[in-house]
Amino acid sequence: MLAAGIVLGLNGGAWWALPAGVLVLALWISWIIVRQVSAHAWVEREDDLMVRRGRIFRRVTVVPYGRMQFVDVASGPLARAFGIARVQLHTASPGSDAHIAGVPAEEAARLRDRLTTRGEARLAGL
Amino acid sequence: MTATPSVAPREWTRTHPVTPFIHVIRTVFALMAVYAIEVTQRPEEGGTLPGFVLFAIACGAIAIAIGWAAAEWRVNLYRIGDDAVYHKHGIVFHQHRQARLDRLQAVDIIQPFIARVFGFADVKIDVAGGRESNVSIKYLKLEDADALRNEVLALAAGYRSEHPGAAGGVGGAVAVPVPVGATPSPTANAASPVAVPPRVPVVAASERVLYRVPGGRLVGSILVSWSAIALLIVAAVTWMIVGAIGDEATSSQDFGSTGGGVTAMIVWVISLGTVLWAQLNNNANFSAGIAADGIRLSHGLLDTRRQTVPPGRVQALVVKQSLLWRGFDWWKVSLNVAGYHEQKQETVSTLLPVGTRQDALDAVWLVLPDLGDPDPAGTIATAMVGSRAENGFTASPTRSWIFDPLQWWRRGVKATDRALLIRKGWLLREFYVIPHERTQSLAIRQGPLQRLLGLATIEVHSTRGVIRPVAAHLALEDAIALIEDQARRAREGRARQTPEQWMAAVTG
Repeated sequence: MLAAGIVLGLNGGAWWALPAGVLVLALWISWIIVRQVSAHAWVEREDDLMVRRGRIFRRVTVVPYGRMQFVDVASGPLARAFGIARVQLHTASPGSDAHIAGVPAEEAARLRDRLTTRGEARLAGL
Repeated sequence: MTATPSVAPREWTRTHPVTPFIHVIRTVFALMAVYAIEVTQRPEEGGTLPGFVLFAIACGAIAIAIGWAAAEWRVNLYRIGDDAVYHKHGIVFHQHRQARLDRLQAVDIIQPFIARVFGFADVKIDVAGGRESNVSIKYLKLEDADALRNEVLALAAGYRSEHPGAAGGVGGAVAVPVPVGATPSPTANAASPVAVPPRVPVVAASERVLYRVPGGRLVGSILVSWSAIALLIVAAVTWMIVGAIGDEATSSQDFGSTGGGVTAMIVWVISLGTVLWAQLNNNANFSAGIAADGIRLSHGLLDTRRQTVPPGRVQALVVKQSLLWRGFDWWKVSLNVAGYHEQKQETVSTLLPVGTRQDALDAVWLVLPDLGDPDPAGTIATAMVGSRAENGFTASPTRSWIFDPLQWWRRGVKATDRALLIRKGWLLREFYVIPHERTQSLAIRQGPLQRLLGLATIEVHSTRGVIRPVAAHLALEDAIALIEDQARRAREGRARQTPEQWMAAVTG
C-alpha cells in the first residue's frame, strides 16, 4: 500500500498518494491495536490467574498464585500520562510470559497487592 | 575418610592456600607457550626484543598473575550458618552472597583435572533464584568439600544440630562421604525398582547405585551419532583434497584457495572432535544412585563432577532416542533443575547419557518413584515407542498431519496421578515427564490455521533448562480439558508435595 503510494508519488502524477497511503496504514494499524486491546483480558480465579491475549494468534496463560515469585508494575512516561500501567507476573519459568498491559494505575497497584497476598498464602517451593 | 572429621566452618574461612596456584596454572601454561613460540621464532624473524627482556616479561607476567590470584584468595571467604551458606570475594568489586538453604536445589562437587590431580575440589551450591545466584567455593581439600556438602544437605534437609561443631553426627545420619572410587554393592542393581518402588529409609547412610554406563557403550553411543558421522565425512573429504593437492601441488594454479578450504575443513574436524571429546570427558564413568539426601550423579573422565539433587528438585525430564540408536534400543535422559543454568548446561542436565530401556526406566523411577500409574512400565513403554491413542494417551487428531507430516501420529499426552507425559517425535523419539507439583504455569495457544482445524497447543512451563515441554496440535476440546485438569492436578500436587526441608516432616 505504502509502496504503491510511493511509486505513484514518484511518477509525478498524484502528490497526495503518499500521505494517503500513510493515513491508510495508520488507520489499519490502529484498527489492529484496538482489536488486540479488546482481546486482552484477565480473570482472577480462586487459585490462579488467567491472562488472554491476541486475536489471530490466541494465547491463554494460566499462572497459579502459588507459583508467582514476584509481580512487577511498570509504567513509562506516556503510560503515566494516561494513568495506566503494565503488570508483569514472574514465575521460576522463563516461559510463563504472563503480563497484563494497560491496567488503570490504581487497579494495577491493587492487583499487585492482591496477587502478592494470594501468592504468599499459597507459595510452595518451586 | 570418615575417620578425619572434617567440619564445615561456622566462622569466616579462606579456601585452601593452593587455590591461587590452581587458578593461575592455565595462565602460566599459556604464557609459557607464548614465550616458547616467541623464542623459537626469533632466528627466523629476527626478533624484536633481546632474549633476556622476553624472559623477564614472561616471569613478571607470571608473578603478577600469581600475586593477583593470591590477593583474591585472601579476600575469598566462606562460612556456613543454620540457614545459609555465606560467601564473599572480590578485590575491586566486593561481592557478598548468601545461598539460602531453604532454596537449595543442588550441591555439586566439581574437580577440574588439575585440581583433581592434587586432591582438591570446587563445591557449587545451586539455589533457586535469578541468574548468578549460585555459590561456588573453590578450592577445598576433597574431604573438606565432602564435609561441606554433607552438612549443607543435612541443614537443608531440616536437621538442626545443637552443637554446631558436631557435623560428624549430622553428616553420619544423612550422608557418609562417598570416597572417590568407592564401589557400592552391586546387589543394588538386582531389584527392579520400577515394579516395586522401595522406600528409602531415613537413615540410609550411603548411596545405592542404580545404574552405571559401561565405557564400551558410551564410546559406542558417541561413535554412533550424527556428529561422529559428520566428522568422518569431513575428515575423508579433507584427506582426499589433501591427497589431490599432493599429486598436483606444482601444477595447480589456485593452490591458495584450495589451501583455505582445507584449513576450514581442518577447523571443522577439530571442532567436531572437540564436541565428541567433551561428550566422552563429561559422561565417562557415569553412575547414578539414590541416597537419603537425593539423587547422586557421578561422572567425568579427566574433569569429574559429583552432583546431588535433593528430593523433589527435579522439575522435568526428557527421554530421547536418536534414529541411529534405535537398533541398539539406547535412550538418553536429561533433567531440569532450577539452579542449573550455566554454560555447561548439557553436562549438568544429563541423568543418563546412554542406557538400555531398563536404565531409562530406572532413571525415571529415580525422579518419580511413584509415577501414579497402575502400570508404570507399560505406560513408559507406550510413551517411548507407542503411537496414537494406545494405553490411554490423548493423541493429536489425524487432521493435525498438515502441521506435522512426519510425527503427528506420535504426538500425544497422558496425565497420571503424579505426572504429565508428553510424547512426540518419529525419527527422534522423545517424551517429557513433568511432575504435576512442578508445573510453573500453563498456556494454551492457537493460530489461525489451528482454529480452522479445531486444534490448539498446550505449553507447560518448567524452570530454565534444557527442557521446554509442548504438547502441540491437540484437539481443541482435549486441550481445554487438559489445561483445566492440569491446573487442578498441579494444585493437588503442590498440596501433597515433599516439603522444602525434606527430612523435617520425618524428624520433627
